[in-house]
Amino acid sequence: MTRKFFFFSEMGYNAYPVEALEKYGYSALLFPNSIFDAEKARDLWQMFLREHEYASEIGFDGSVCNEHHNNVLSMQESVNISAAVISQRIKGAIALIGNPLPIHDNPVRVAEEIAMLDLISGGRIISGFVRGTGIEQLSTNANPAYNRERFEEAFALIKKTWTVSGPFRWEGKHYHLRVVNPWQLPLQKPHPPIWAAGILSPETIRWAARQRITYLVLGSALDATATCRDIYHEVAREDGWTPTPEHLGYLIHTAVMDTDEEAYEMGRYHYGGASVIGRSGGVAQSALSSGTGSAGATGGGPHPEWMAPPGYMSKQAKTGNMARERRMSEGSYDAALRAGLIVTGSPKTIVQKFKHIIDRTDPGYLTFWAREGKKPHEATMRGIELLGKEVIPVLREHQSALVSGKEVTPWPE
Amino acid sequence: MAGMNDLSRLVDAGGITIELRRGGSGAPLLVIHGELGVPGWLDSFAQLAKHYDVIVPLLPGYGRSTRPDWIMSVHDLAAWITWFARDLDLRTPVNVIGCSLGGWVAAEIATVAPQFLNKLVLVGAMGIKPEHGEIFDYFLESGLTGLRRAFYRPEQSPGFTRYWGKEWTPEEADLIEQHREMTCRIAWKPYMHSLTLRYLLPGIITPTLLVWGRDDAITPLECGEIYQHAIPRSQLAVIEHCGHMPEMEQPAEFSQLVEHFLSG
Repeated sequence: MTRKFFFFSEMGYNAYPVEALEKYGYSALLFPNSIFDAEKARDLWQMFLREHEYASEIGFDGSVCNEHHNNVLSMQESVNISAAVISQRIKGAIALIGNPLPIHDNPVRVAEEIAMLDLISGGRIISGFVRGTGIEQLSTNANPAYNRERFEEAFALIKKTWTVSGPFRWEGKHYHLRVVNPWQLPLQKPHPPIWAAGILSPETIRWAARQRITYLVLGSALDATATCRDIYHEVAREDGWTPTPEHLGYLIHTAVMDTDEEAYEMGRYHYGGASVIGRSGGVAQSALSSGTGSAGATGGGPHPEWMAPPGYMSKQAKTGNMARERRMSEGSYDAALRAGLIVTGSPKTIVQKFKHIIDRTDPGYLTFWAREGKKPHEATMRGIELLGKEVIPVLREHQSALVSGKEVTPWPE
Repeated sequence: MAGMNDLSRLVDAGGITIELRRGGSGAPLLVIHGELGVPGWLDSFAQLAKHYDVIVPLLPGYGRSTRPDWIMSVHDLAAWITWFARDLDLRTPVNVIGCSLGGWVAAEIATVAPQFLNKLVLVGAMGIKPEHGEIFDYFLESGLTGLRRAFYRPEQSPGFTRYWGKEWTPEEADLIEQHREMTCRIAWKPYMHSLTLRYLLPGIITPTLLVWGRDDAITPLECGEIYQHAIPRSQLAVIEHCGHMPEMEQPAEFSQLVEHFLSG
């Protein structure tokens, strides 16, 4: 397949007063919604949708949308509503990364909504499924101790809904449905492409490989992503098949501007910091001196238990090599840049960096996390323009060293 | 009868392997621990062991006891306790102390199996939704925060400082998380209470003593009052300067209350 280039934005509520972060020390779950200003949010929606639209106009292959709850990180409480709206504003694919399955008590409803999306968009949907963060379990009251069981059972039920004619009955451990027989089924057959997305859970990577579905690495550092790819390929080898680039997606914080210096400054908007659970978890006091972005989103902060409620995360995921690598990359903004957690530069610089990234990971889907937090709209639009006009066209021509056998493009000094 | 030195061992009972602490001699006294597990042979157990055969199983999923995936509710634990007791050849009816989550388990047993129980002591018991306050939500806070909150004055309580007051080893931290996870599995939603238990309490015929810490910041004293009003002929004893775990924070007064009740 030809590599695809997507645009991503969490579409976060960035109109919160910074002092509120200082006061509470977090920006999620218990961050009081009295701070929310509906009129500001209305305007933000229009701005964010315009950014998606512009990315499509300028040459991106698609847009990516997401879901979070009780969190300034993202105003998308329903990824399916985001996808519905975006599908009417852009020409390309819409990837959902995705529906957090364990929080739903009726997974067939998710299957129905994705079928609707696929029909309305004319078959442009990529259906990602996630476990949801710890915050999602707490804010929707989904039992974290059964998170993985619920994820896997919901996935199996949705897949059956799309591939086996109804009506049928489902009597599982967590889900019980008398009649599964939704009227609408997806346009794409047998179903839209399915992705699983994650940060550092080796179990999910192995599971995705066993299912032979695309694994999307969410905003992780380069070494960790290469490790994800290795694990995926290792499992595939055990199962006797060879993954293609389309089995790996990579979502990367990206700040491109006309000069390296401007891009470096814009990249700061992406940085959260090691002591931050990030915008997906709550921001520690120290976040204000380090940044207010979401890169470095798994460290700790005042309530690490929100990101890892009991039973949600295996011991291996908490303490394994990938977690360790990630923590090291989150220590400072410059450490995050060195680790490739955030990629910045002028078009010329960033092309070389992404060639290096492609050479090492060969993702079939490269998604630029190109709008974040309080980054100004004008700078975001300029970044999108440069990516569309000067970066993506060059990268389209670049074959990964993993395929060509050539030397890995060096990381620019 | 188990000797005083034979306090922790693994036994096969109730279909699984169970970590069992047992000491003392006399009539059996079964202790069902709470959501925080039970960290050792408590002073209150030692006191009660002077007159009773004190039997403290670590519930499935707690301590070194195995965790069968099928146990998903307090009702499951209640049924399992009766199986466990049968496998240990405990003479029934038996005296039972149920602490916090274990109190809820014991109350469930009392509603369906009165023949199992001789006398019942419920300590800061879960299971009832308070009408005014709320049961503390352990899962919005860290394990340490929850443990500290379970004591009126953690630093002044030998029960706290001895077991949880030092810096934890990785193994100890893992154990706390393991207990939190097991508690999630059985009491996540509705959180720490039953929607039907309070309507079944009037049917209890077992003589029941309710013991509450005046300063219980986990299960409000109000829950004890609801229990006391609902269970016929029950008594509520309130211990001053005491939080959610009288058996650890005020072991002398707690043991005295229990001994007095059981011997009366």
